[in-house]
Amino acid sequence: MNVAEAIVVEGLCKEYRSRLGDRMLAVNNVSFTVNEGEIFGFIGPNGAGKTTTIKTLLGLLFPTSGKAIVLGRPAGDIEAKERISYLPESPYFYEHMTGAEVLDFYCQLFRMDKVARRKKVGELLERVGLGKDGRRALRQYSKGMLQRVGIAQALINDPDLLFFDEPTSGLDPIAHKDIQDLILSLRDQGKTVFLSSHQLSDVEHVCNRVAIINRGELVRLGTMDELLHAGRTIITLACANEQLIEQIKPLTAHFAQDGDLAKFYVEAEDDVHKVLEIARGKASLVSVVPQKQTLEDLFVEIVREGRK
Amino acid sequence: MIIWAIAKTTVGDALRRKVLQVFLVVAIGLIVLSLSFSQTLSFSSQRGISADLMLLKSFGLGMMALAGIFISLILGVSLIPQEFERRTIYTILAKPVKRYEFIAGKFLGALLTLAITTGLMGITFIATIVAKTIGAHNIVDVKSVSALQAKADSQIAFFDVNMIWGVALVYLQFMVLSSIVLLFSLIFTTTVNFFMGAAVYVVGFMSTVVTSLGGAEGANSFQRAFFKTIYYVLPRFDQFNIPNQLLHPEAQVTNMASYTGLMALYGLLYTLLALVAAILIFERKEV
Repeated sequence: MNVAEAIVVEGLCKEYRSRLGDRMLAVNNVSFTVNEGEIFGFIGPNGAGKTTTIKTLLGLLFPTSGKAIVLGRPAGDIEAKERISYLPESPYFYEHMTGAEVLDFYCQLFRMDKVARRKKVGELLERVGLGKDGRRALRQYSKGMLQRVGIAQALINDPDLLFFDEPTSGLDPIAHKDIQDLILSLRDQGKTVFLSSHQLSDVEHVCNRVAIINRGELVRLGTMDELLHAGRTIITLACANEQLIEQIKPLTAHFAQDGDLAKFYVEAEDDVHKVLEIARGKASLVSVVPQKQTLEDLFVEIVREGRK
Repeated sequence: MIIWAIAKTTVGDALRRKVLQVFLVVAIGLIVLSLSFSQTLSFSSQRGISADLMLLKSFGLGMMALAGIFISLILGVSLIPQEFERRTIYTILAKPVKRYEFIAGKFLGALLTLAITTGLMGITFIATIVAKTIGAHNIVDVKSVSALQAKADSQIAFFDVNMIWGVALVYLQFMVLSSIVLLFSLIFTTTVNFFMGAAVYVVGFMSTVVTSLGGAEGANSFQRAFFKTIYYVLPRFDQFNIPNQLLHPEAQVTNMASYTGLMALYGLLYTLLALVAAILIFERKEV
């Protein structure tokens, strides 16, 4: 295995079996690699197999078949766990504990001594903006504050690889921005982040590469440039007659009439030139507007394709 | 360190559970109230202090056992499933925590919780008996009991060390029962586990009845094998219940300390087996 690969997944399958014997393939032959120092986006609709994949990489679930290697060790290996961390969606803690106590508990799981723990807990509480709330019981915390505790526990061991599962789910814009900034700062420190999120704008903004999973299968994988094509171009013509519109329509993905204006949505760049050539002298050109495809556009397109 | 950290957290969590607090308070309250029951019945005026103390010991140990069994069941059945329900298990097992450390930590936490609750009930029980003994020595009406009884009563010690062994034996059965319900909690649902655990306790408590059924006239070979298996596989909870020995000193147990030691060995062995089985299952369990 290449040392620059933080995660290697090859032909991963995970099948769930109910007590009645029913089978459900949650992850089907998924393969990808995540390079060290990379922010890797892992997106998909609900029930696509994202959390199952993450749990398999953490050793919480066992693969039915295939290979999952994390930091050069089999998924779930204790040595690898010393260098990784996990922030689940809506992290849950023992509510009777204070923020400082729960972090102290997690520090103990890394066998840290009392002096080191006290120092680390103080540092982490300050880092996540809970310096003044560390002595309050968790039951008094808001969702955003609990998420900050979740982040703090994920940073205890100064991990090389972080798994974030929906880290911004249900957070207010300030907390959301803080987490986005944290991910960017982790990238600057050379950490590897495996980010699963429904906030596609976040993923588009912070990730180097993205994998899209749908119905348990990996349907797209690549950098933003590789995944997002140039997008459609909207050509708006005025005073176009019926004959001209019918002539242009086969070259377009979509057509809309708005009073005297005819809007043609053209996918390919060659077709844009062809449309303009056909329309020359026969109608007035109002505008030619290229639209860049967003990750959200691509995601919706893939999910809708999958439903057909 | 990891096991101890998980155990401490488990104790803190368990002691805050309302249902456990209710059982504990009711049991302690009833043990204290038993003092007034015996005074109301005024056994001492008719049959001497020893009869009065017998009633108190019987009631106190019974109350401790009953409350402790419910606490063991409630604690044991929810020990691991609650971690799944609250999703706290994910962040713990994502850390460098071996699965056996998690199970051992949770079980140690349960044992410590049971030790605290049994200790509180035990102290109350012993204090009640001592208080009754002191009180009875002062008020005993020599005229109403025979001279022989009065002499025997006057020789009763204020503190009977066997009470400590009695409390220890009650605790040991909680330990065994907790290990069984912990094991079951990895296989069955919480409700099924509760009733299974209760059934194991009841059948284990009636081990002499089980062995009699196996040896009864008319029992076929299958029935014999069935009852024999139950007799040997299930823990013999009746052996942990020594009120009879404690109440009737003339009974077969002559040395309570060595008997308790022997039962501790039996209980530890049984607990260890259940714990190893639980760890083996949990190693393969998906979370």
